Amino acid sequence: MRRAAATTFALLSLVVVAACDKKDAPPSAGSGASAAPEPTAAPSAAPVAWAAALSGSAERGAKLVEKHECNRCHDGTGLERAKFELHCFGCHEDIIRGKFKIADKVKLAKWKAHVRDIQFAPSLEGAGARFEPAWLTAFLYEPADLRPNMVASMPRLGLSKQDAADIAAHLTRGHRDEKLSLESASAERGRAVLETRGCGSCHLMTGVAAFPAVPPSAPGERTAAIELAPDLRFTRERLSAAAVVRWLRDPAAMKPGTLMPNLGLSDQEAKDAAKYLLTAELAAAPRYVAPKKLALLERKVGFEEVQERVLGKICAHCHGNPDVAGGDGGPGNTGGFGFAPRRLDLSKYSGVASGYVGADGERHSVFLPLADGTPRLVAALYARHDEQAGKPRPDVRGMPLGMPALPIEDIQLVESWVAQGRPR
Amino acid sequence: MTKRSVMSIVFAGLGALMVATTAPAEAEACGGAWFPEVEVDFRPMAIAMAEKQLDQGKVAQAAATVIRTMPHVGQLNAKRSKIVERGQRVLAVAVARTNGKLELGQEVPAYARAHWAGKTEKDRQANLTFAVNALRKVNEIKKDDPAAQTELAEALARVDAHKSEARDMLEKLAKKDLIATPEGYAVLAELRAKAGDESGKKLALKRCEAMAPGATVCQTTARG
Ligand code: HEC
Ligand code: HEC
Ligand code: HEC
Ligand code: HEC
Repeated sequence: MRRAAATTFALLSLVVVAACDKKDAPPSAGSGASAAPEPTAAPSAAPVAWAAALSGSAERGAKLVEKHECNRCHDGTGLERAKFELHCFGCHEDIIRGKFKIADKVKLAKWKAHVRDIQFAPSLEGAGARFEPAWLTAFLYEPADLRPNMVASMPRLGLSKQDAADIAAHLTRGHRDEKLSLESASAERGRAVLETRGCGSCHLMTGVAAFPAVPPSAPGERTAAIELAPDLRFTRERLSAAAVVRWLRDPAAMKPGTLMPNLGLSDQEAKDAAKYLLTAELAAAPRYVAPKKLALLERKVGFEEVQERVLGKICAHCHGNPDVAGGDGGPGNTGGFGFAPRRLDLSKYSGVASGYVGADGERHSVFLPLADGTPRLVAALYARHDEQAGKPRPDVRGMPLGMPALPIEDIQLVESWVAQGRPR
Repeated sequence: MTKRSVMSIVFAGLGALMVATTAPAEAEACGGAWFPEVEVDFRPMAIAMAEKQLDQGKVAQAAATVIRTMPHVGQLNAKRSKIVERGQRVLAVAVARTNGKLELGQEVPAYARAHWAGKTEKDRQANLTFAVNALRKVNEIKKDDPAAQTELAEALARVDAHKSEARDMLEKLAKKDLIATPEGYAVLAELRAKAGDESGKKLALKRCEAMAPGATVCQTTARG
């Protein structure tokens, strides 16, 4: 990031984040889908057709935002930021900035490495001015990954389609249905704007030839702005033409505090860029392909290994033991994000063996096989891959919630352990 | 919100380790070495250690850790304090697993060693009564918790008058695959054997052995 100070980035006070090679993201933010498959027409509006047909109640939406505790991750929800111990990023940020008070510096360094990928969510400030309500509704109902350089994603919450429409109505209060004609604009000139104004140092636009990346996004360097910059292929679903142009002229006017700099585009340049963003032919999205299931391990797998590699490392942060945490066992145990308490404690052996409380109010084992024979605990891990591939399962929520799916080797480990009779 | 309460709420998953680091951090946070160390509550750390020892099968050690931390733990009110509840739970499970004859090491004061040793039948029964009562209380606090139920059933199984209650509890849990420990399956095997259910006993032992690789848990407990 030091080099970056010389460029566009001088405008911003950016936060340095250590290297993170997320998902299978390309090493640099600018190296998009240049080797993209055959081009297709612009994505159809079909996915949001149902959403556009629903009308939401903003009043009910406001209550739902409260119920689902959006303020534990997002600013700009209309609610105050959640308390420190409930907020999912404040603590992680403190750890990363070295502000977290703990005497054990070795541990702090280890924590730093573990939380560095989980420290932001976009603020929802000004969402009404920016987002199309139908897109918002569809996204809340079935969240998809919007930010190729960000590890955490929007969790799949327990929202019905109507709930999603209500929340969208709440977040887009004051949304103006402006019409703006881009007839006089040129997508070709727009492409040139995108190439010459350094947009590629933060943004990817999958489905078109990559923009040249200005140096700061060399592999191994990530900044908050890069993490928070959306894939511009989605802009046409998210923003109207008028909103894109207004955004490009002055981002902070639409969203105070945004990390997108004002690049000083003229009205014409903004219109040209908008035309390109909204009409450029897009190759099919790089499809996420869920990895193939691996054969069970033949060697012995004990709980300690499963704990160290998976359950204790990732899951226990949401499925903890309330007795050692002042009564809050995390969203997957004592409830949160609008979920009822499932009372699933993945921090210790007897907790895992104690199962979870189902929608029927009864305890169920996480080892019981579903219809296809996969134990629920394992099915939840595969389901997260399915969600990433755009095929959420109606019967199983993917885990870890809102985090990248586990590497297939880790699922193999858990599955082998269960198959071996889950030895302690 | 005080520093203390924020720090102790600190995330579910890290429990023992986190609490372990709480004490010095607090001293630091409060601006210097003068901050009186004595005000630091070290019990959460010790009880977390005891819980770990119990999980590792070091039954007597776990009980000793609890007693050294809270010598009169047996007389305290678990409903008032989480740390007492957790301490009593460890001690009660240790008593049940040693069938009322808990042999504590030299690190525990002599009077406590004598108290928990269960030398006479009357002492032994008194210890088991403590275990049953303490674990019943835990179950009142944590409703519908299979781990707590499994442990209560273990203690109940050690008292003649409660054996059928123990079996009912374990059978119910077994039906839903919710017996939380190999020890629980070992006790179920023993109870089924006593009731003449030979094939049921074998099934329970098989589950026990799958859950406890060393299988000593399954043999010793099943002998009762
Ligand atoms: C556990 C944390 C978490 C919770 C709780 C959460 N979100 Fe999110 N949300 C995220 C993250 C992370 C992203 C960024 C995902 C991405 O870009 O791929 C996101 C993205 C979004 C976006 C897209 C915004 C943009 O600028 O692209 C909206 C809108 C949104 N969330 C709304 C909500 C609402 C409404 C709620 C409550 C009902 C909610 N979120 C709860 C973490 C969370
Ligand atoms: C009080 C501080 C604190 C709060 C609040 C907090 N975390 Fe964490 N979180 C941590 C620490 C510390 C670690 C690293 C622990 C470690 O390395 O063992 C961590 C690690 C994680 C991890 C594991 C990352 C990995 O892959 O290793 C996840 C997932 C996580 N947190 C999610 C959350 C979510 C979701 C929330 C909000 C519900 C949250 N955290 C709130 C302190 C916190
Ligand atoms: C320093 C990094 C950076 C640069 C350079 C940058 N952006 Fe952004 N851009 C962002 C961030 C961060 C966001 C998300 C803003 C937010 O939610 O606060 C964003 C948002 C956008 C959006 C809204 C997209 C959506 O789907 O919500 C558009 C459109 C956009 N940028 C276009 C551009 C264009 C065109 C350029 C070049 C002229 C550019 N950006 C340069 C960081 C950057
Ligand atoms: C960010 C928080 C979070 C993380 C991290 C997380 N969970 Fe969950 N988990 C939840 C919540 C919330 C629920 C309740 C969902 C519901 O009620 O539909 C849940 C439910 C579950 C269930 C219940 C069964 C079901 O289908 O509803 C299982 C099993 C589960 N999680 C396993 C895991 C595993 C394994 C991991 C680690 C790989 C994990 N979870 C990580 C929050 C989390």
